[in-house]
Amino acid sequence: MFKLKVADAKLLRDMATAISILVDEATFKIDPEGLKLRAMDPSRVAMIDFEWPKTIFEEYVCAEPTRMCINISELLKLLKRASKDEAVELALDEKTARLEIKITGKYTRNFTMPTLEASEEEVPTPKITFNVKAKTTTQGLSQAIEDAQLVSDHVRVEADAEKLVLNAAGDLMGAMITLQKGSDALLDLEVKENSKATFSLSYLSEIIKAASATSDIATLEFSSDMPIRIDFQQTKEGKLTFFLAPRIETE
Amino acid sequence: MRKTYEAAAASSKAAMNFTGNHAGATVQDNWLLSILKSSSNSAAEKQIVTRASRDSICVVCKGARFLCGKTRCPLMVKVNYYLKSVPLMASEDIAGVSPPSVFIGRMGYPHVYAGPLVPPIAEDTSLYDLPELWFGKSIDEIVGFRSLLVRGKHPVHVQKFNEAGKIVEQTRELALAENSVDIELNLTKKPRGSLFLSDDVQPFGPSAPIRDLHVGNARFDHRIEKAYYDTDLRALPAVLELYNRGVMVTRIQRAFSVGAFGVEKNRRLVPTRWSITAVDDIVSKSLAEQVKTFPEINEYRVYESRYLDNVFEVLMIPDIWRYEAMEAWYPGTVWNPNGKTTAIFSDYEGNNGRTTYAAIGGCYYSARLAVCEQLVKERRQATVIVLREARPGYIMPVGVWQVRENVRNAMRQKPFMFKTLSGALQFIADRFEIPLRRWILQSELLKNALFQKKITDFFAATQASAKAQA
Repeated sequence: MFKLKVADAKLLRDMATAISILVDEATFKIDPEGLKLRAMDPSRVAMIDFEWPKTIFEEYVCAEPTRMCINISELLKLLKRASKDEAVELALDEKTARLEIKITGKYTRNFTMPTLEASEEEVPTPKITFNVKAKTTTQGLSQAIEDAQLVSDHVRVEADAEKLVLNAAGDLMGAMITLQKGSDALLDLEVKENSKATFSLSYLSEIIKAASATSDIATLEFSSDMPIRIDFQQTKEGKLTFFLAPRIETE
Repeated sequence: MRKTYEAAAASSKAAMNFTGNHAGATVQDNWLLSILKSSSNSAAEKQIVTRASRDSICVVCKGARFLCGKTRCPLMVKVNYYLKSVPLMASEDIAGVSPPSVFIGRMGYPHVYAGPLVPPIAEDTSLYDLPELWFGKSIDEIVGFRSLLVRGKHPVHVQKFNEAGKIVEQTRELALAENSVDIELNLTKKPRGSLFLSDDVQPFGPSAPIRDLHVGNARFDHRIEKAYYDTDLRALPAVLELYNRGVMVTRIQRAFSVGAFGVEKNRRLVPTRWSITAVDDIVSKSLAEQVKTFPEINEYRVYESRYLDNVFEVLMIPDIWRYEAMEAWYPGTVWNPNGKTTAIFSDYEGNNGRTTYAAIGGCYYSARLAVCEQLVKERRQATVIVLREARPGYIMPVGVWQVRENVRNAMRQKPFMFKTLSGALQFIADRFEIPLRRWILQSELLKNALFQKKITDFFAATQASAKAQA
C-alpha cells in the first residue's frame, strides 16, 4: 500500500522534470519515511540523488518498503495537464501493478499508468574530497552557463580564494565568465585548494535549467579533474543533488 | 542543328572541378575536339561544339598528365560515355525497356520536370536501377549502363500531378512497377546533354522534353500498390511498413518520389534526390529508436569495407546510441580537386537524434541506415562512428547508394574486436593514411569517448587511483 498527496501539482511536476533530464525509467525506493531515487543517465556520465521525506506531503501512506519503477516522461505528460494549485494524488495498486494519478481542481481526473520492472541495482555515491564549495543563485548560475554555451560545448570551471571562473573555448570563439566572491550571483565561496575541472555544457545546462524550477540556491562542490556535485536547496525539506563526471583532455 | 557538349559547362558539379573559370570563350586550340576527331565518329563531330577555359589546367594536361591529381581523367571518362550515348541522340523516338526508373528534377520546385528514364534496349533492364545489386561493379560498368538511360522531361507542379495529364500519370504508374516495362518514349527533339552526375543521385544520360509516352502493361508490386491505394495512410508509416515487409529501399524511394504515399490531399511529387534521403532518414530514424532499447555491445569493434576507392572504417563503441559520420577527401578527389591538403567533414547526433539537416548531406543518412540495420539485427546498442576516406580513384560521384551499400558490406564482414578504445583506434590509424590526430580533432564523438569520464569511474576508487586513471 502506497499513496501520497501533494497540494500543489507544480511541486511534483518540477521534480519529475528534473528527474527526466537524466532518466527515462526511474526506480523509486519507497519506505514509511519517504521516497528516494538515485540513478545514473544511460551513458553513466551524470547521476541524480533525490529524496523527499514524508513531511513534504499533505498525505503519505506507506505500509512497508517497496520499489516502484515508472516511465517518467509518460508521468510528466499527465502531470502537465494539472494547473498550479490543483492537488495531485498518486496511489500504487499492487495487484494490478498500476499507478493511479488523481488530479483534483475544478474537476477531477483519474489517470492510470503501468509500472515497470523495478531495477534492483544499488547505485553508490562517488567518494570524493571536495576542495571547492561555492554557493550560487540558480539564476546567476544558469545565466553563466548560457553565456558559455554561446562559444563551446564544454566549460572549464576554476576557483581560487577570490572567485569562481567559467572558461569556455570553442573552435573560433572563447568566453570567460567571472563570479566574484560576495557578488549577487556568488553568495559564498570556500576554497581549500585552487581547483579546475572541465564539464559538458549540454549536461550542465539541462540539469541546471530543470532544477532551477525547484530551487533558488545551488551549491557547487568540486576538485581538480573530479566529478562536480551540484546541490539544489529545496524550499521545503528534501534533497535534489546531481553529480557530473569531468572531461579530461589528454594529448 | 547544333549540339553543345557540356564538358566544361556547369551542368554538373564534377565538371566545375577541373575548370576554374569556364565562363571563357571558345578556344581555338581545342584539344577535346581533336580527341573526338581521332575517335572517327563523324556523326558526333557535327553535333559537338566544345568549350574550354583558357586558363584551365585541363588545356595543358589534355587528359594525359593527370595534373588534377585524379588517377583517371574524369573528362575523358565522360567523353567516352558521351560517345556511347551519341547513337541515343540520333532519334526523337526511343523504344526500350525501362528498369523501371523515373526522375523528378528539383530545379524550379515546386514546378519541376518529371518523366521516365528509358534505355534503347529491349531486354530485362531491372539491374539498371537497383543499386542494391551494384556493389562490386566497377565505375565503368555502372556509368556504362546508366549513361544509356535517356530522360524524358515533362513540366509539372508537384501538387497538381492529377491535372498534369497522361504523361505524368503513366510516369507515376511506371514507378510502382515490379519489373521492367516496355516503353515508347517520343521526344519533342533529339535528347541532348552529357552524363548527369550528382553526389546523391545515380548518374543518367541525355534528356529531352516528352511529346508522347506509351507505357506497356506493368504489374505493380502488390505491397507498394496497397500503400498507394490507401489514401488515409500517412507517408511515414507507409514507408516503414514497406521496409519492414522487405521492400528494397530503392523501390520505396522510387514510389515515394512520385507521391505514391500519404494522405490523399498531401500527396506530391518529390525530387528524386530528396526522396532518397527522405527514405533513408525515415527508416533509419525508426531503427535507431529500436536500437536505443537494446543492451550495449561488450567490446570495441571495427568493421571495414572498400569499394570504388572509398575506404570505410566503422567504429562501434560500447555506449549508448550516438552516431557520427565523417568523410575525408584526398586532394584530387571529386569534391576536393584543387586542395593541397585532405579535407575532413563531419556531423553527429546524440542519443536524441537530430532536427537539422546533416552538414555532410545525404550520405550521412545512408550510412546511418546501414549501421542501424546491423544493430537491430543483433539487437544491440552502440555509439557508432563511420569514417570514410575518399581516395583519388573515386573520380566521379555515383550517388549515395555507394555509401549505403559500402557500409552495408562492411556490416556483413566479421568485425575486428578490441578490448580498449586505443586498440581500436590504433587499428584504424594503420588502415588510413590520414593521421589519427586529425580524425580525433574533427570528431565530437571520438573526443567524447576519449575525454569524457563516467561517474562509475569514481565509485570505488579513492582519489589517488582516480587521478592515476586520468
